[in-house]
Amino acid sequence: GSPIPVGIDVQVESIDSISEVDMDFTMTLYLRHYWKDERLSFRSNKNKSMTFDGRLIKKIWVPDVFFVHSKRSFIHDTTVENVMLRVYPDGNVLFSLRITVSAMCFMDFSRFPLDTQNCSLELESYAYNEDDLMLYWKHGNKSLSTDEHISLSQFFIEEFSASSGLAFYSSTGWYNRLFINFALRRHIFFFVLQSYFPAMLMVMLSWVSFWIDRRAVPARVSLGITTVLTMSTIMTGVSASMPQVSYIKAVDVYLWISFLFVFLSVIEYAAVNYLTTIEERKQLKKRGKASGMYSIDAVQAMAFDGCFHDTDVEMDLTAFSDRCEENETRARAASVSNVDTTRIKRKRSLKGNVGKIILQNNHVIDTYSRIIFPSVYIVFNLFYWGLYI
Amino acid sequence: SHIYKKNHDVTKTWKGKTEHLLRVDDHDFTMRPAFGGPAIPVGVDVQVESLDSISEVDMDFTMTLYLRHYWKDERLSFPSTTNKSMTFDGRLVKKIWVPDVFFVHSKRSFIHDTTTDNIMLRVFPDGHVLYSMRITVTAMCNMDFSRFPLDSQTCSLELESYAYTDEDLMLYWKNGNESLKTDEKISLSQFLIQKFHTTSRLAFYSSTGWYNRLYINFTLRRHIFFFLLQTYFPATLMVMLSWVSFWIDRRAVPARVSLGITTVLTMSTIITGVNASMPRVSYIKAVDIYLWVSFVFVFLSVLEYAAVNYLTTVQERKERKLWERFPCMCGIPHSKTMMLDGNYSESDANSLTGYTRNQMVPEEGKQEKMVVHLAMSNESNSSRKRGLKGHVGLRIIQNTHAIDKYSRLIFPGTYIFFNLIYWSVFS
Repeated sequence: GSPIPVGIDVQVESIDSISEVDMDFTMTLYLRHYWKDERLSFRSNKNKSMTFDGRLIKKIWVPDVFFVHSKRSFIHDTTVENVMLRVYPDGNVLFSLRITVSAMCFMDFSRFPLDTQNCSLELESYAYNEDDLMLYWKHGNKSLSTDEHISLSQFFIEEFSASSGLAFYSSTGWYNRLFINFALRRHIFFFVLQSYFPAMLMVMLSWVSFWIDRRAVPARVSLGITTVLTMSTIMTGVSASMPQVSYIKAVDVYLWISFLFVFLSVIEYAAVNYLTTIEERKQLKKRGKASGMYSIDAVQAMAFDGCFHDTDVEMDLTAFSDRCEENETRARAASVSNVDTTRIKRKRSLKGNVGKIILQNNHVIDTYSRIIFPSVYIVFNLFYWGLYI
Repeated sequence: SHIYKKNHDVTKTWKGKTEHLLRVDDHDFTMRPAFGGPAIPVGVDVQVESLDSISEVDMDFTMTLYLRHYWKDERLSFPSTTNKSMTFDGRLVKKIWVPDVFFVHSKRSFIHDTTTDNIMLRVFPDGHVLYSMRITVTAMCNMDFSRFPLDSQTCSLELESYAYTDEDLMLYWKNGNESLKTDEKISLSQFLIQKFHTTSRLAFYSSTGWYNRLYINFTLRRHIFFFLLQTYFPATLMVMLSWVSFWIDRRAVPARVSLGITTVLTMSTIITGVNASMPRVSYIKAVDIYLWVSFVFVFLSVLEYAAVNYLTTVQERKERKLWERFPCMCGIPHSKTMMLDGNYSESDANSLTGYTRNQMVPEEGKQEKMVVHLAMSNESNSSRKRGLKGHVGLRIIQNTHAIDKYSRLIFPGTYIFFNLIYWSVFS
């Protein structure tokens, strides 16, 4: 005869988890069916319904609703099958189940972690197409209710809405399909604390290098390279819990540009150091000094080779050795031998060489970098947050 | 033969099978006892065997318990002279009516079935039934981590009948508050189980009506020792390590920079490590506050050294410029040049130039001194020695920049103050 109308009512108990890596979500819900079966009507003067548990189901007809695109699902069965059947005298039946279902949700991560995901759970009858069974939301949009304290730690559940549609299968025909749609907005706070903030701090730390004396070669290099290492660690940490998608995510954009800034600060110092060396060589040629020995003070010597000197040393700036003691003894020996002529030499070195070696304490590149790097980074931040929020 | 005849097979001469005894086939057990009549009261008794695990990431807990139901079904009463009960295992359950209690907000649950279903049914002659089973259930527990790891979580397991409203089935705790018992040695490694207690309430479902709901509540207080050892203590040590930098000579540029930057790297690693096993919540946790404030301290010590280094370089440049104003420095003995820039000279061969005193001597003053010392150009060695003695102390003191001096006191003081506030607020 005519198709039997089956009303559906859903109460969502909880959204258990959303998995980005598997691109699915797990939901526990009470699924209720309402239909009329005249074969089940019975006489009653009180018009009260009869309630049964799960064992009656095997003996009567129930609709065969399933979840399209579900990966795993089960009806809870502790202590007995969580199934209820309520039969009214006129043959109306209420059939309720408690189900946990894991269903697919296609997620788009191009704005991760400032993204909103739309997922939906779809119900359909497996065997009966729309000529036999008409599935509809019992109370329209109000059929979908949620428990009071339904919440996720990482997401804000924006709205639940119910909709329905028809689905066509070429081999079997048209089926009624009901949709439970919900939108999830990700809380960004965790990612700000975990990824954005450390990345920003690392970039700021790399700017510290521009304020350090450019003669401190080991200091500036280790500062630059360690910030690169930390940025790299932060980036690896974020990618660990993400699916390997083929497009760039919003957090990737931020981290890679921050990485670029840090990288450029290392390159900047390499340029400064190279240009400084060229300058010094030019000075050397100008003064026509035969040897590469310079009388430089303890501070510059310390900045240059990282070894502690407490006295002035004569050092061969071109012959840099790793061993501090070697440097020290060589320098002292050189200086001791010059005791007699020191006064004149020192005068000259004090007046001429010292002044020329400590040419200017900053290279012009450093001076500009101190302003350019921070301002470009701030402009980038304004663009990024303006675009994505 | 003879032997077999002697051993009487007791079961063969029994009056009838279990079903006949209990008259199971005479009644329709798909209907509850007193169907159509008043609600049947079902008493519940729980003995908690163990709390298997608490998961922060999934926000759930797993519990194993013995769940016992007590009700009266007159259809199961049987005549008995001794008033002794009959005990059956799980196979009778399918044939009679049992309450359909389920765990609300449970994620997964199962009745243990090794070696057979862990179910017991005990029927008394007057129709009273005791129905017991052993279940492991994983249920949701909303956890609030704003005070993690100095937090206490309150979780509850909820029992309710699935099909029968409070007009058909009344669920209640059999012995009130005493219904909940726990095994003696129930304990968790990370938590202290503060108390178990029971409550009951009514729950309303808009489509199906009012149901009786029983609650098993327990409070868990987290042991902080693990986190002290794993997170707080390393963070504190890293901050203290960053203070070492203030005591190192400011001329040791690579040393101070790499000390600062490596402590920053270690703090960053500690922070990442803590968040690995935590759910991604949208608010700040107590441990986050501590780690980030410590990170800021370590970061500031790097910035402090950048400031010291920069200011020292600026000073040095000014000194150089001043030096270059005087065209002829010939014949100036050490003492004069020492007075000029406060440098320490150990011997004729060496002199320390570089970072000098903090205060800027006004140029007029310098010139005056210069003139004075030019006039004293033929001074003897004895005055030089005296000058040497005096200026050694002067020179070494000025190897410390004022910022460093203040930082040695300010950083530890502020950090100790922060610790006092933190531990008093959260403990």
